[in-house]
Amino acid sequence: MRSLRVLLRKDLGELFASRAFWFTLLVIGPLVGQAFIQAVSTYAEVSAGALPQGLSPLDGIVVPSLGAYELAIMLLFPFVAIRTISAERTSGALKLILQWPVPVGAHVVSKLAALLVAWLLSLTAFGIAMGLWLGYGGHLSGAEVTNVLLGYTLRFVFTAAISMAAAALVPGAANAAVVVLAFTIGTWALDFLATGRGGLWQTLASYTPAAAVRSFERGLMRVDVIAVMLIVTVVALFIAARFLKIGSIVAAVVAVAIGAGSIVLASQIRTSFDLSEDRRNSFPAADERALRSIKEPLTISVWLSPEDPRMNDFERNILVRLRRTVPHLREIYPLEGRTGLFSDYGQIEYRIGDRRVMSRSTTEEIVLETIYALARVPAPPHSEGAYAGYPLAKGDGLENPSCIVFYALWPLTVLAAWRFVRRSPRTG
Amino acid sequence: MITISNLTVVRGGRRILDDVSFDIHPGELLGVIGPNGAGKTTLFECIAGLQPITSGTIRKGELFYMPDGVKPWPDQTVWWTLEIFGAMWGIPVPPLDYLNQRVSSLSKGETKRLDIALALLAPHPVLFLDEPFDGLDIRQVRATIEQLRDVARNGCTLVLSIHQLTDAARVCDRLLLLNHGRVIASGTPAELGDLEEAFLALT
Repeated sequence: MRSLRVLLRKDLGELFASRAFWFTLLVIGPLVGQAFIQAVSTYAEVSAGALPQGLSPLDGIVVPSLGAYELAIMLLFPFVAIRTISAERTSGALKLILQWPVPVGAHVVSKLAALLVAWLLSLTAFGIAMGLWLGYGGHLSGAEVTNVLLGYTLRFVFTAAISMAAAALVPGAANAAVVVLAFTIGTWALDFLATGRGGLWQTLASYTPAAAVRSFERGLMRVDVIAVMLIVTVVALFIAARFLKIGSIVAAVVAVAIGAGSIVLASQIRTSFDLSEDRRNSFPAADERALRSIKEPLTISVWLSPEDPRMNDFERNILVRLRRTVPHLREIYPLEGRTGLFSDYGQIEYRIGDRRVMSRSTTEEIVLETIYALARVPAPPHSEGAYAGYPLAKGDGLENPSCIVFYALWPLTVLAAWRFVRRSPRTG
Repeated sequence: MITISNLTVVRGGRRILDDVSFDIHPGELLGVIGPNGAGKTTLFECIAGLQPITSGTIRKGELFYMPDGVKPWPDQTVWWTLEIFGAMWGIPVPPLDYLNQRVSSLSKGETKRLDIALALLAPHPVLFLDEPFDGLDIRQVRATIEQLRDVARNGCTLVLSIHQLTDAARVCDRLLLLNHGRVIASGTPAELGDLEEAFLALT
């Protein structure tokens, strides 16, 4: 236990000695501040307008403020994570600590723990932003904020693990950075290419870091997404640990194969929790009960191309909800990988047994009516009121305190802390 | 205590170590000498478990290996480095005259003294030191030899990779001459006679 404490102390000491960490901390404040100030300004403007109903702080404030962390996770934190391994490899310290009486895996876990401390420290800027928001009289839902923070934290851990694996696999921090960048661009490409294609590609794309965070941003906690992200993280950490000492390609390939198998199994999990305050990922409770009572398999064939805005509407407003509710749902995308003109384009076919209905609508009411009629289930009466939203009561002069905090106090505090840490050599 | 049998290491088709066999006896001060590229560092790293071997066996107990050219945690102070190392083994920080300096600012000799201090903090019964006198001036070499002799007298086995033949002869009980990955001679400095001539004749 003492050895593990020393290991963590060493990794925290190295984290606080890292310029990459202090630079990340320095820039995260102004980035969060800029996003937050812009978001508050827009929110206040819309609140004062003619249609403030349904305004959600999750979409209007929380997610935009966290946008800065997306940038940091992609472009800044990988360098902090890579440094935890590459600096010790370059200096030769790695050869020394690998002889310490701790398992190789403990080194990787300790580095990840130190990185999590860095992440939590960086989240202080977000915490300040949310504090200011509450001070302005804004509203926050604890469940929504916790959920979206969980999503970002999972993404951070995922990226940190990939970065550490890259640093362990290839010599030099620059090479590792190229590997991580290539991985990130690869996930973007997958995310872009697979949208609305259905099948394996869409399943894979729904687990890219960007797509995974998107579901959290919509207030949805999907157990399959959490499981897949954790599996990738564990596999990456295993590879990092194996290659810290004597690398074994066979062990890495076996780990990736086991990880891939586990991901296939995890992707079958359908459990999810709608933590959004406006229940945007759920149908009204009465409709959910009615949909759950449909025991026969429901097949939906969507004749829309991925680029079609109706496809996006149908995915966000209907399919996400149906996946959570209908026990046996099958989706077919006939246009997947095909181009040309199709007579059925724009149609959505619903099939239960040998009964089928074609429709062009992507609105909730019509889709539900269609499914109830097809399933011969009586449509339930609607009794739930619409989400009222949380418009901001006062909107003037909100930028000033935020500007001072994020553009002046934050950088000064970070610089002072960095100076204090740098200038305090101790001799016991 | 340590037995190396038929150790062979092949990298990229090249035999770095070729059928190396020898024993290391408890309490001895063994010097491994050889020209550049003879395979000394590879031999040490294989014994320490930091490099894979192609064939052969290594029977060993607990040992600690200090590589050459290590400048650990350059952004930290010497005190921090020693303190972390000592804390791992539960041993207090040894005195050094430049504890408050950052590791990045150390000269080659100061770095080597730090490395030796770190190695001597390890409570292992066997220490492998790669080029322990490299970068040290005459006075420091003399002090380090005395320090190593003290350690050996206290029962620790020391295995040193040494470039300077005179230093090797002064400090070691037994020498192992390595060339092209093979052990080509071994014995006490007295048995090997004029080391420089033996070295030139055999390598």
